[in-house]
Formats: sequence, structure tokens, C-alpha cells
Amino acid sequence: MNLLSLGLVHGLIAQIAGTIFGMALVMFFRVVAGLPAWEREPVFVGGAIVGAIAFMIGVGALNDWFKWARGEKTSDDISPDPDKPNWTRFFSVDYDHKVIGIQYGVTSVLLLGFGGIFAMLFRLELAEAGITILNSDIFELILGYSGPHLYNSLMSLHGIVMIASILLGVGAMSNYLVPMLIGANDMAFPRLNAFAFWINVPGAIILLSSLFLGGFDTGWVGYPPLSLRAPLGMQMFLLGVYIVGLSSISGAINVIVTVFRLRAPGMTMMRMPIFAWAALATAFIQLTATQLIGLSFQLTMLERLLGMGFFTPDVGGDPILYQHLFWFYSHPAVYVFILPGLGVISELLPVFTRKPLFGYRWVAYSSMGIALVGFFVWAHHMFSSGMSPYLRIPFMYATLLVAIPTGVKFFSWVGTLWRGKITTPTPMLFVLGSIVIFLMGGVTGPPLGTIATDLHLHDTWYVVGHFHDTMFGGYVFPFFAAIYYWFPKMTGRKYDERLGKLHFWLMFPAFMVMTLGQIFLGMLGMRRRVADYDPALGFDPTQLLITIAGFAIFISVIIALYNLIRSARKGEVAVGNVWNSRSPEWQIPNPAPLHNYAHPFHVVGQPYDYGLQDAPYVDMDPAGTPAHS
Amino acid sequence: MLHFVIVAVLVALSTFGLGSYFASGALLPEAASQQSLVIDWLFGVHGWLVAFFFSLIVVFLLYSVIVFRRRPGEQGDGAYITGNHQLEIIWTLIPLAIVLWLAVIGASTLADVERRDPNALVVDVYAAQWSWTFEYENGAITTDLVLPVNQQVLLRLHSNDVIHSFYVPQFRVKQDVLPGGPEFTRELRITPTQEGEFKIQCAELCGQLHYDMLADVMVVSEAEYLVWLDQAAGDCEGTDEQCGQRWANQFGCLACHSLDGSVILAPSWLGIAGSEEELTDGSTVLVDAEYLHRSIVDPNAQIVAGFQPNIMPQDFEERMTEEQIQQVIAFILSLGE
Amino acid sequence: MADHHMTASYKERLARNRMGLWLFIISDAFVFIGLFVARVVLLPGQRPHLEQGLGLVVTTMLLVSSFFMNRAETELAHGNRAGFMRGTLITLVLGTIFLIGVVGIEWQIAPFGPADGAQGAIFYAMTGFHAFHVLTGVIFLAIVWNNGRKGHYSAEEHWAVEACAVYWHFIDVVWIFFYPALYLMGTPVL
Ligand code: HEA
Ligand code: HEA
Ligand code: HEC
Ligand code: CUA
Ligand SMILES: [Cu+2]
Repeated sequence: MNLLSLGLVHGLIAQIAGTIFGMALVMFFRVVAGLPAWEREPVFVGGAIVGAIAFMIGVGALNDWFKWARGEKTSDDISPDPDKPNWTRFFSVDYDHKVIGIQYGVTSVLLLGFGGIFAMLFRLELAEAGITILNSDIFELILGYSGPHLYNSLMSLHGIVMIASILLGVGAMSNYLVPMLIGANDMAFPRLNAFAFWINVPGAIILLSSLFLGGFDTGWVGYPPLSLRAPLGMQMFLLGVYIVGLSSISGAINVIVTVFRLRAPGMTMMRMPIFAWAALATAFIQLTATQLIGLSFQLTMLERLLGMGFFTPDVGGDPILYQHLFWFYSHPAVYVFILPGLGVISELLPVFTRKPLFGYRWVAYSSMGIALVGFFVWAHHMFSSGMSPYLRIPFMYATLLVAIPTGVKFFSWVGTLWRGKITTPTPMLFVLGSIVIFLMGGVTGPPLGTIATDLHLHDTWYVVGHFHDTMFGGYVFPFFAAIYYWFPKMTGRKYDERLGKLHFWLMFPAFMVMTLGQIFLGMLGMRRRVADYDPALGFDPTQLLITIAGFAIFISVIIALYNLIRSARKGEVAVGNVWNSRSPEWQIPNPAPLHNYAHPFHVVGQPYDYGLQDAPYVDMDPAGTPAHS
Repeated sequence: MLHFVIVAVLVALSTFGLGSYFASGALLPEAASQQSLVIDWLFGVHGWLVAFFFSLIVVFLLYSVIVFRRRPGEQGDGAYITGNHQLEIIWTLIPLAIVLWLAVIGASTLADVERRDPNALVVDVYAAQWSWTFEYENGAITTDLVLPVNQQVLLRLHSNDVIHSFYVPQFRVKQDVLPGGPEFTRELRITPTQEGEFKIQCAELCGQLHYDMLADVMVVSEAEYLVWLDQAAGDCEGTDEQCGQRWANQFGCLACHSLDGSVILAPSWLGIAGSEEELTDGSTVLVDAEYLHRSIVDPNAQIVAGFQPNIMPQDFEERMTEEQIQQVIAFILSLGE
Repeated sequence: MADHHMTASYKERLARNRMGLWLFIISDAFVFIGLFVARVVLLPGQRPHLEQGLGLVVTTMLLVSSFFMNRAETELAHGNRAGFMRGTLITLVLGTIFLIGVVGIEWQIAPFGPADGAQGAIFYAMTGFHAFHVLTGVIFLAIVWNNGRKGHYSAEEHWAVEACAVYWHFIDVVWIFFYPALYLMGTPVL
């Protein structure tokens, strides 16, 4: 197999060439405009932008669109080239939603790994007071900087890389699952889908390159004026995130159209598997809110490049404006992180309790409710920012209101568990873990929401604990639950149950230790984003504990990856409906065939009627034709 | 029914245990201001709510998983229960009532926290990367904040570079400090109730040495305060070098410039006087009084090789008197060749 | 291999495409809303110093172009290819004139640059983001025109033309809000 024939390799080569070309182009225009040819920042930014476009051309994600523009026809047959081994599909442009879903998933785990490694580095630093390992000359040698600035850069990159990892993981889940759950054979716009995945690759590369271009020390929020003074790495952060944002937007369009137009006959909205509702609500947020983080980042880039006065008061700007634009996205974004995860919880609970989902309709509407209310709470991140004081009370009310639809979900889950016939294989353990952890994250929310208490908690480790709880409970744990649960569907094999349980029983307690420690330190007044702390405060032992717990989480994920990679090749073959589920995707062979459903199924019942005799959800063979001719 | 009774008892026990721990105040630092008393009361309310809702869900969950687990050999599905509208309405309305009530007490607590005393003592706070300076109404300028106990102080917060945040955990309140002149000046009111020494911590990431942007706040009795204030306001009486050192400390020069030859963020002042220094443009310059003056009032005019422009604040000319600048120069010159 | 239900009918695809395009437009509108908010916040009660006559001319060009774009699409739907080509071309030309007017003239004669305070930032950002959209619209028009010349599109099947028209109208509507925001609201900055 010739590596050079892989789309990914083409793309990477094109990105390198494009970057160099882009840099030359900027220098050329600078000379034409009578400026000195070389100035680091514009040249690098120009190179990065052209490089990203070149990647997309090189990888081949734009080929069909170029053909359309020339008026040529393209083939709608997405069957892979039979001459190439199957694995090559995952490294080239492919329009199959299952391939794209797995591409998203693997990239997401890769980014999780990067974010995790950054966390481990700065966790070592925090384990004891005093600036220790980050002062090492090795960093000076490799990166050109060390010490507190390195801490700030690693911490900021950890935050944003993890968030990018979540966005890709969300893409993985909605791409892989939504078409299969609603009885479609692919997403509505397969080319847009491939575009949305591949654009993340140059985006992530640019984002990570910031570490080598001076880093950036603003946290993942990038508040100006600090972000206007940060080194070149800042631009790579802004640009990288912007590109990943493009992926969110195009992915969202696809999910919405797919859910509205591609459902199987008989599948009304109220008969959709609940995950589809979650994906839909998520997509609405991504579709609209993402534009504003894109805008705020673009304006920051422009201010840095051209000196335009958006956010610097001295030249007529307003730093608070940035915060409004930023949080208008970044608050709703946290619901992007969790809604798919909560969807997975609601999807799996009925299977492992053998009971209907308690209050389906309410659970479905609560996703929409959370998404909607989520748009009106952004300024709760700014209670002490010095924004207009009139905004504080309304935003406090709106913030607290989110507790209600979220509460509905919790109560429904408890209602589903009650009097079930509960089994606890690995996916179910992760579901139960998610509920407990997300609950911790949820109940730590209202103290942040009532302004007076937030004046103490804002920018302390309490917030750090709050959002690790919500993000692990709402995303990381459900994501692993989903991977274990649909693993047979993806690979046709079973994972190792004992290693899966080990993963859980290592990660869950370690995680508890980590965030409880963070919450306690925050209550005592430890500030966020500090490279060092006063030993006199007595935070050392707790910090050491958090570091140990962080490493335990890291190791548990390595165990999981070992399990998954090994089982994908050597695991026991999984035949048929592994979990005895009612859902349509389990009525077809493992792994799911190229075109999911040989012919459209009909929906004849409710999705979660476990415990009701002779009430199937889907009729896989409505016309009575022999399946799989 | 028995199931519900058992669960209810467990929830009650767990709520009581967790709630009394959370609401005991053991998790918070010492309360040392009027504002912190009000805020801690609200923390107490939250403590009970957190305890209750956490217990409610977790006890139900654990109980179900243990009691309703599938026994070996057991067949069949769970009870066919698809939902219950009455329950749904109840568990929508009760939390709704709770959060509305929370919002009401949240708003009134905030009003208490921000209550204004027209006789409040006014102090101007200048935050800069990475130091704090305080200016009192009588002209005293210090790097430590000294406050009289039981009197409200109105802090007017100014920054001249990036966003910082004024935070003293024992006072419970914080407020971001914005750059941009009068339009962006923000206020914070604190009424200390405990004498003692606390730390002001910058709570908004503001670059490299953010973690080290600390200052002391001393709360003293009214009498002590007045004595101190008189002293602090007094003009510097001492040699030029001594005063220069005082200003260097006060205006935060020493946050970046060391006196022992080590590099914090800027060239050390040790032994620069009279030396030939290389600049970023390759030329060299003799460090004399004239050059030092230029370096202070217009730091970007000449950049020492190996350092970055735009790090050193540009507004010392406005903030310092000419005499103070001259005394700082005298101090630097005294640090020897 | 390819089963009948795997490739959707033209009608079904049209419905999907329409929905997709509208979603894109909703999404894109948020950028312009954001810019509009920034304008209101940074320049309350003021407006940049601009050439009023020029503003009126380019605005007229853009409004008129939308009319011709509409004509082009309707002609095509009625089977009049010549009318369609003519309408597209006029739209393209008017769009280009708009671009020249804003970027080529107004940007050059404005008495301030992008780095000159809030008015520079706001003016160049709002017109720049909008001009970028006009540019993509013009490219889209050129593609449609070129494919029309090659004989593509029929009265029944011309999704690309429809999409181009909707997109063009959207750009126009944005300008309907931006023109007063830049040229009419408030008193000129000194
Ligand atoms: C996945 C992400 C996620 C989720 C779901 C949430 C959920 C919530 N968040 Fe969180 N939050 C973050 C991620 C998330 N957050 C992040 C990343 C930050 C920091 C960003 C940064 O600065 O870097 C942050 C910061 C943050 C702040 C700003 C803190 C500060 O910097 O000062 C606030 C303030 O209001 C807040 C509030 C809330 C609230 C009220 C909820 C609610 O949605 C929670 C609702 C849930 C429950 C309440 C539990 C279940 C409900 C019941 C059992 C019903 C009954 C309950 C009651 C009546 C109380 N969050
Ligand atoms: C999904 C989001 C996510 C996740 C999973 C994590 C995971 C972790 N986080 Fe992170 N964190 C954030 C999001 C996240 N964090 C955000 C947004 C911030 C705010 C940043 C800011 O303030 O701006 C933050 C900030 C933050 C801080 C505060 C820093 C500060 O304020 O100074 C700390 C401190 O302890 C911390 C610790 C950890 C630790 C120990 C983990 C551990 O759980 C990590 C464990 C490791 C993994 C889960 C990865 C395992 C993967 C592999 C082993 C794969 C390896 C293989 C390949 C390379 C393929 N995080
Ligand atoms: C935030 C950091 C910072 C602060 C605070 C700061 N400086 Fe500096 N200073 C620098 C940096 C960086 C340089 C080197 C770059 C340059 O030459 O401008 C510098 C250079 C100088 C020089 C020239 C040194 C040489 O070796 O030639 C002098 C003199 C000086 N500063 C005086 C002061 C005085 C006086 C104050 C306070 C009133 C002060 N600085 C506060 C960062 C700072
Ligand atoms: Cu000043 Cu952090
Ligand atoms: Cu939020």
C-alpha cells in the first residue's frame, strides 16, 4: 500500500507547501505596498490561512465542489474503491457517515491525548509550591520559553484543545449515530460532512503550532487587551479555533437537515430515538452561536494585525464588548458539550434497565429547553467583569432557570432506574458514573449563578471543579459509554469486559478526588490560572492529591485505548443484537453494512417500550422482501 | 411503598449529614468583612440545597442499582412505566419555585453587599502588570493597603495595561480592574470587620507574573489608621537614594527590575550605571542620568538587547513627579558601576 | 448495488438544499448582527466620516442588482434563457461596481484608516465583512453565468441559480441594515 496515495498525506504535503506559498504571498504584497517584506505576524498568519486552504484542496475535500462549479456531474455512488484495503478509507476523503464518524472520534481521542499530556505537565508543576519542573532548560531549548509563561501556555492550550476534542467527539457521535438511529443511509450532505471533518485537521495543527510560536498566556478565553500583547502563538490559537468553528457550523447544518428530512417512514418527531433530539438541539446552538466566537476571534486578529481599535480603550475600543461576544458563544457551547452526552445517557438507560424511558416527551423537550434558555445566560461569566450593573440580575434569573430542564432529565433518569431490571456492564457503569458526576457539576452551578456568592467563587478553583464535573459527567463519561456500547456496531467485535470495568473503577474514584479537591481549594480562595501558590496557604497536600488523581485518569484512558485497539482486531466476534436493544441499528449486521439499511424500515411503535409484549419499534422488512439479497 | 419509605429516610439522613457540613462554614476562609457575613449566609442556603438535591438523586440511583439489580438467572424486563405527567409537573414546578426564591434572595443579598455608605473612605487603586499601588485622598501613595476596621472603604479601580481583578478571599468580593481611563473605572465597596493582615490577589489572568501579583492589606483600628495615614502622606525625608528606593518599590519598578543582578522580566539595575549597553538595534549606549530618564519616561525609545518593547508601562511620566523620577535615577546610579 | 432509496429524487434533494441554504443564512446573519452590535456599542450616537453621495450610489447599485437577480431567476423559470443570462450579467456588473465603489473608492478616500479609533475599526470591519460576502456572491454569479452559457440549468432544474439568487438577496438585505448604520445614524465623528 502506497502511503503517498492517502488523502491525508496529500493534504499534509499541500498544507506545508501552501503555508510556504502563503508566507511568500504576504511578503510579496508587503513589498508591493512599500512595507518591509518581513514581519513575523502577518507573514505567519497569511501562511497559516493559505496552508489550511491548501490542505483542503490537497486532501480532496473540495474536488466535487470544483466540479460543480465547472458544471460537471459528480457521482453519488459512495462505494469505496475495492482495490484499496478498507483501512485506507479512514485516511482519505470518504462520504460514508460511519467512516466520517469514526474519523471524528479518532481525531477527538488524539486531541484528548494532547490535552491530557499538557495537563499532566502542568499538574506536575502544581504538585508542590514553587516553580519547579517548568523552569527546566529542556523547555527553553525546545520551545524558547519556560517558567510561568510556559505554565500559562500549557494551561490555556489544555483548555482549548480539550474543548476542540469535545467538539470533535460530539461530531463523532452525531455523525455515526443520527443517520442510523433515524433510518437514513447517510447524512443529508455527504460532501459537506467530509468538509466539516477534514477542516478540523489543519485547524488542530494550527492550534497546536501555537505552542512552538511563543505560546499564549490568556487562558482559553483570550480576553483582550492581554490577548493583544501575547506572542505570535495567540494568532495561531485564534485562527485554529476559528477553523474548528467552521466545522461546527457546517456539521450543524447537516444534522438539522438530516433529522428533519431523512427520517424513516412512520418516524414522527416523537418516535425518534432520544439521541436524535439531543443532536438536534446541539446543532441549533452550534449553527448560530458559533458565529460569534468566530467574529470575536477575527476582530482580535484584525486588531493585532492592523491596529483596529475594537477592544483597546485607548484607541476607542471596549474590552467588555469582547467578553459579551465571546460568552454569547461560549456559554451555549457548554450545552453543546453536554446535550449529546445526556442523550447517550437517556438512550442507554432503558436498554440496561429494561424499562421505558421515563417521560420521553419531557426529556426530548428539556433538551430544547436547555438549548433555548442557554442563549440568555452568557453574562453570568461576567458578574464581576465591570459590565453594566443592570445586566446582572436578569442574567442571574435566566441562569438559575436552566436548573429546571436539567432537573427534569435527572428525575427522568431516576424514574427510569426505579424498579428496572438493572445490569451493569461497562457502558452502564459509565452511564451511572456520568449521572453522579454531572449532578455534582450541576449542583455546583447555582452557587455560581447567584451573583453575591459568585463574587467570591469567580476565577477560583471552585469554577475549575464545577466545569470538570460538568464536562466529564456530561461528555467524557457518556462518550466512553457510547464507545463501549456501539463498539460492536463499529468493529463487529466485542471489547474486553474486564479491562472496561478496570477503566471505570480507576477513572471514577480518581476523578472524584480530582474535582472534590479542586472545589475545596476554590472555596478557600485559590485563584485559577496561577503558575504558583504561596506554600503558607497549605494547599500543597491537596494539590499533590489532584496530581496523583490526574495521572490515574490518564492511565485509565490508556488502558481503555489498549482495550479498544486490541479488541478491534482480536476481540470476540459480536453477532447480532448484542445488547438486546429495540433500536433499529441493532437489527442489522455487525459491523454496520456500507449502506446501513438495505431497504427502508417502517416505524410501528415507540422506541423504548421495554417490558411491553409484542410491541416492536421498527418493522425492518415492511414489504416482506428477503433481506440482504 | 416500603421502598419509598427507606429511600426517604436515607435521603433525609444524607441531606442532614452533608448539609450541616456544607453550611457550617468550614469550607470557607475566615470572614473578615461586612459583605462576607451576608455572602456566607447565602452560601449556607446553597449548602443545604446542594446537599438535598445531591442526596435525592444519588440515593435513588444507588438504591435502584442495588435493590433492583437483575439477579442471576432472572429473565424478563422491568416494570412497564412510561412516565407520569403529574410527577413531571411536580418536579418542574417545585424546582421552579426554588430557583425563583433563590433569585429573589440572591438579588437582595447582592443589594446588601453593595450597600453604600456616603461617608466611605475613598482609595484609588492602580493595578499594573504586576503590582498594586494605592493612593489615599491625602496624597499618600503606598504598595500595601491599610484600612481602618468597621468603616466602609470605596475602592476606585484603575488599570493602565490589561484587565486585573481585586480579590481578597476573606472579604469574599472581587471586581475586575479595567484599563481605559475614567470611563472604565470601576468601584468596589468593602467594610472590614476583623483586624489583621490579609492578601490582595489579582484574580484575572494578566500575563506572565499574574500568580505573583499580590499585595498586603492591613486592617487596623481607627486610631492606628490615622497615625499611619499621616506618616504615609509625609513627603519623603531622606537622601535622594533612599527616597528613590522607596519610589521604586512603590511604583512597582522592583516587580520587574531586580537589585541583585538577576533578571525577573527586565534588566537588573545592579551595576548598570556607567556601563555600555547594547540595544536591540545593535547600537550601544552609555547608561547615564540622561539615558535613564529617557528609559523611564519613554521606555520604547531604546530597547535593551534581549528584552521586549511594550512590557514596561509607558505612563510613569504622568504618574510620577519629576522629583520622584530624579530620585529613582539617583538610586539607580547609586547601585554602582 | 445502489438501491433506489439511496439516491434521493431531484425534488427531495431540492428540499434538502433549500433547508440547508436557509440554515446557512441564519447562521451567517449572526456575524452581521454581531458587527451591528459592535457598531452600536463602540460608536453610540456617532457615525464615521463618509462620502454621502458615494454611499447613495453604491446602495442604489446593490438594490437594483437584487431586482435583476430576481428577474434572472424568474426568466429562467419561465424558460427564457436569454433573459436569464442578461439578468445574471447585469447583477454581476452591478455587484462589481458596488465592490469598486466601496473598496476601491470609499476605502481610499476615507479620511481615516483602519487603525484610527473606533470609527476606523467599525467602518472597515463592517464594510470589509460585507464586501467579502459580495465578492463571494460575485464569484458565485460568475460561476452560474458561465455554466448558463454552457447550456446548463433548465426551467425545472436550476437549484444553483436559485441558491445564488437567495444568497445575493441576503447580502442585499444585510446592506439595507448596514447602510443606515454607517451613513445615516448619529452625527459624524469629529
Ligand atoms: C459542560 C458544561 C457546563 C454545564 C452543563 C454547566 C452548567 C451550569 N453552569 Fe457552568 N461553566 C462551565 C461549563 C458548564 N456549566 C464552564 C466551562 C465554565 C467556566 C468557563 C471559564 O471561565 O473558563 C462555567 C462557569 C460557570 C459560571 C461562571 C463562573 C465564574 O467564572 O464566575 C456560572 C455562573 O453562573 C455557571 C453556572 C452554571 C449553571 C447554573 C449551570 C446549570 O446548567 C446547572 C443545572 C443543573 C443542576 C442545578 C443540577 C440538576 C438539577 C436538579 C436536580 C433540579 C433542582 C435543582 C435546584 C433547584 C438547584 N457556570
Ligand atoms: C474536556 C475537557 C477537559 C478535560 C477532559 C480535562 C481534563 C483534565 N484537566 Fe482540565 N481544563 C479544561 C478542560 C478539561 N480538562 C478547561 C476548559 C480548562 C480551563 C482552561 C483555562 O482556564 O483557560 C481546564 C483547566 C484545568 C485546570 C486549571 C488550571 C488553572 O486554572 O491554572 C486543571 C488543574 O488541575 C486541570 C486539570 C485537568 C486534569 C488533571 C485532567 C485530566 O482528567 C486529564 C487526564 C487525561 C486525559 C483524559 C487524556 C488521556 C488520553 C490519553 C492517555 C491518550 C493518549 C494517546 C494519544 C496521544 C492518542 N484542568
Ligand atoms: C512590567 C515590567 C516593568 C516595570 C513595572 C518597570 N520596567 Fe523598566 N524595563 C522593563 C523592561 C522589559 C525593560 C527593557 C526594555 C527597554 O529597554 O525598554 C526596562 C528597561 C528599563 C530601564 C533601562 C534599563 C537598562 O538596562 O538600560 C530603566 C532605567 C527602567 N526600565 C526603569 C524603570 C523604572 C524607574 C520603573 C518604575 C518607575 C520601571 N522601569 C518599571 C520592564 C519594566
Ligand atoms: Cu493582574 Cu492577574
Ligand atoms: Cu456559562
